[in-house]
Amino acid sequence: MLLFWSNPEFVRHRRAELRRGRAFTVAAVVLVLCVLIGLAAWASAANELEMAQIRSARFGRPTQAQLFEMQQRLPSEALQLFYRSLMYTQAGILAFWSLFSCAQAVSGERERKTWDFQRTTRLRPADLMLGKLLGEPVLAYFIVLCCLPIAAISGLAAKIGLLHVLSAYLLIVSSALFIGLAGLWLSSLFESRSRGVGLIGTAGLFAFLALSFNFRVSELPGLAGFSPLAGLPQLVEPSGSATALPTLFGAQIPWLLMSLLLYMAFGAWIALMLGRNLKKDYEEMRPLSRWQAVGCAAFLNFLLYALFHPHPWSPPDSHSFTTFIVIMNGLIILAVGVATLAPHERLRIWWCKRGAHEATLLSEDGPPWPWLVLSAVVAYALLIWGLFAWRRVLGFETSSLSGGAIQMAAVLIFVTRDVLFLQWCRLTRLRAPLIKGALYLCLYYIASLVFTFVFSVRSEWDGRIVYSLLTPAGALDGRSYGVHFPVGVFGGMSLQLIVVGVLVTLIIRRLKRPPLTAAVVGD
Amino acid sequence: MIQLSKLRKEFGDLIAVNDLDLMIPQGEIYGLIGPNGAGKTTSIRMTCGLLAPTQGCVRVNDVDVLGEPERAQQYIGYLSDFFSVYEDLKVWEYLDYFARAYKMSQPEIAQRIEEVIAQVGLEVKRDTLIHGLSRGMKQRLGIARAIIHQPKVLLLDEPASGLDPKARLELRELLRSMRDQGATILISSHILTELEGFCTSIGIMEKGRLVRTGRIEEVTAEETPTRIVRLRWVGDSAESVRRILAERLELSNISLDGNGGSFHFVGSDDLLAQVLATLVSANVRVTSFGEIKQTVEDLYMKLSQHEVM
Ligand SMILES: Nc1ncnc2c1ncn2[C@@H]1O[C@H](COP(=O)(O)OP(=O)(O)OP(=O)(O)O)[C@@H](O)[C@H]1O
Ligand SMILES: [Mg+2]
Repeated sequence: MLLFWSNPEFVRHRRAELRRGRAFTVAAVVLVLCVLIGLAAWASAANELEMAQIRSARFGRPTQAQLFEMQQRLPSEALQLFYRSLMYTQAGILAFWSLFSCAQAVSGERERKTWDFQRTTRLRPADLMLGKLLGEPVLAYFIVLCCLPIAAISGLAAKIGLLHVLSAYLLIVSSALFIGLAGLWLSSLFESRSRGVGLIGTAGLFAFLALSFNFRVSELPGLAGFSPLAGLPQLVEPSGSATALPTLFGAQIPWLLMSLLLYMAFGAWIALMLGRNLKKDYEEMRPLSRWQAVGCAAFLNFLLYALFHPHPWSPPDSHSFTTFIVIMNGLIILAVGVATLAPHERLRIWWCKRGAHEATLLSEDGPPWPWLVLSAVVAYALLIWGLFAWRRVLGFETSSLSGGAIQMAAVLIFVTRDVLFLQWCRLTRLRAPLIKGALYLCLYYIASLVFTFVFSVRSEWDGRIVYSLLTPAGALDGRSYGVHFPVGVFGGMSLQLIVVGVLVTLIIRRLKRPPLTAAVVGD
Repeated sequence: MIQLSKLRKEFGDLIAVNDLDLMIPQGEIYGLIGPNGAGKTTSIRMTCGLLAPTQGCVRVNDVDVLGEPERAQQYIGYLSDFFSVYEDLKVWEYLDYFARAYKMSQPEIAQRIEEVIAQVGLEVKRDTLIHGLSRGMKQRLGIARAIIHQPKVLLLDEPASGLDPKARLELRELLRSMRDQGATILISSHILTELEGFCTSIGIMEKGRLVRTGRIEEVTAEETPTRIVRLRWVGDSAESVRRILAERLELSNISLDGNGGSFHFVGSDDLLAQVLATLVSANVRVTSFGEIKQTVEDLYMKLSQHEVM
């Protein structure tokens, strides 16, 4: 476990950020802050007692006996408040610091031009990952280490129980590790040219982690486990507050366990992506191999069924559940598509090999679309299983299976079109092709929205036709039953299939163009 | 030993390195020259495993760089053309970091750091923060980093930029001594005089291809069978000397004026000696007589002109 202590990358951060003078200063500041928090906790508890005394004098309530009891409890109340504040502060510091330091770890080194030297050492991606994960926020870990004895003693003194204290620290540290890992992954995806997007991504990740707390009241309550705030309250309060527990296949599990499961599962995927890519050149990065991407899609689908928790008084019917799953799969397949885009040179080699009958369509360097189809098929198979597994709540209807098939096909066609468009952008000589391509797609969908609006002014039916032709929304608007979709949906699917055909031809045209020899300056 | 076979790199539809074949045996100092954008940096980056080639294979010290990157890295020292260093570390800490990253053994590290610091002349700065070093000192530190693990193969992309003349000399000496210990060195440079008299072989790169490669004398000789000889004398008139020289058929382009001049000559050293003997026996009082060596720069200019035509 002490492997990280001699990790060169960790040692570097430790040396640079924890020089003796600085470490002493930080420890002193932490101590002073602890004292201040302690005073504030005491003042707050004393204030409460004072208010009670005033109320007692005015209204006779609480009674003298109750007041006396409150007085007795004052030190332990204050201690508990102190402990709680300390734990939340530590969780906040560690999470923030981990995210924002790790989210610049790799992109920052790329920008400073120190990254190549790390890549030419014998450090394995796992070494780099571990070193950066613990090294980048080393100062935050040091702060927590300084707080630890004070928090632990106050927790024990406040009768929180050793197990609870340990569990709370486990949650705080594991959430910080997960958040750091996610930040590290983000930072590996960006370089100086796309730094703005990286920043937006970091802010987005932060917002997700902060807001994921609200999933508590959704039909996927387990997702709230991404936020340490879901599990921490029960661990730091002696009685444990009574919030609803998350479910796994309908069975309730503690929040701590839920969070740990999510962190481990998603952490493993992120670690896999980092391990594959950390030592690769930026242009050659591909988050997952194609089979892994399909596996990831299957995992995410599986997770949806596992975390699903229908509202007991108004469970969804199988149609709306199917639609929900298909919408989620639209996002998942899009992510698979983006993760499996092929770099220009690889695709060209594949094309040459394919001409010589040496490569198949389902190849690591081939075009992304066969993998999207595969992901959709896997998702559909899981949908059948999921509907079956949840049949007692949702009711198993074959019409939702057939309807689901058509919805899935519609979503697949639209997503394939978008992914092929991105792939085509990647073959042009645009700078930052993916970001530009994504912007064009956003523009397209905004324009579709405007058209829909314009046409629906004339009649609602016209508006529906327009959005069925241009977007997958027609198949997903929940107004159809079984296989009885309006003609516009099928029209839209056929239209988009033609667009897909055009994009494939464009891509092949690009691949057929002979490459240029480098022009030399001065020629 | 460095072996590149059929190495190719495409960036989109641009071929930066075009089916490069190159074999540098152990103990060579190989200079790679070429105009901006010729593909030198791209080739070096592929050689040290930073960039995956579109096609082709790189072997360093008989290890496949693509197949076994971690094993290959222990033999490779690399210095890129533009780089920076961790400003918040001390000089010795920086070297210690890389020594650990190359998985050197702990007792070996301390000794090696002192050795390398002495080799690049940074002894007085050992305990200062890198933040306070000058540009040239950082370049020296970069060189120290590249050699900390005693690599068998050293890949240097424009290593002398920012170094003062003394440091350049020291760098040459350092590289020579590494070569003597059996290292193979690939060095790219724009400053051609820098490679002269120091590289054992050169390669001239253009548009992603090696247009000439080989030992320095061979490449220069191959390109210029005609040698240019310059002479000076005292006493006789230019006209009388020209008459003597014109009798010899191996000579052409004789241009003399006052008490000196030059001529072109094709033939062996023996013949050249005879030319001098003829002059002396005709009582011309020769004060100097010598061949003008082709510089790498001349050669380079010539070759690029060929390419452009
Ligand atoms: N990441 C990249 N993306 C696209 N093109 C690139 C990339 N890196 C290099 N090139 C192109 O490859 C060609 C070779 O570049 P390279 O840097 O190898 O040249 P060089 O010989 O090192 O030039 P210099 O003497 O200027 O350092 C150039 O035309 C360059 O524009
Ligand atoms: Mg270069």
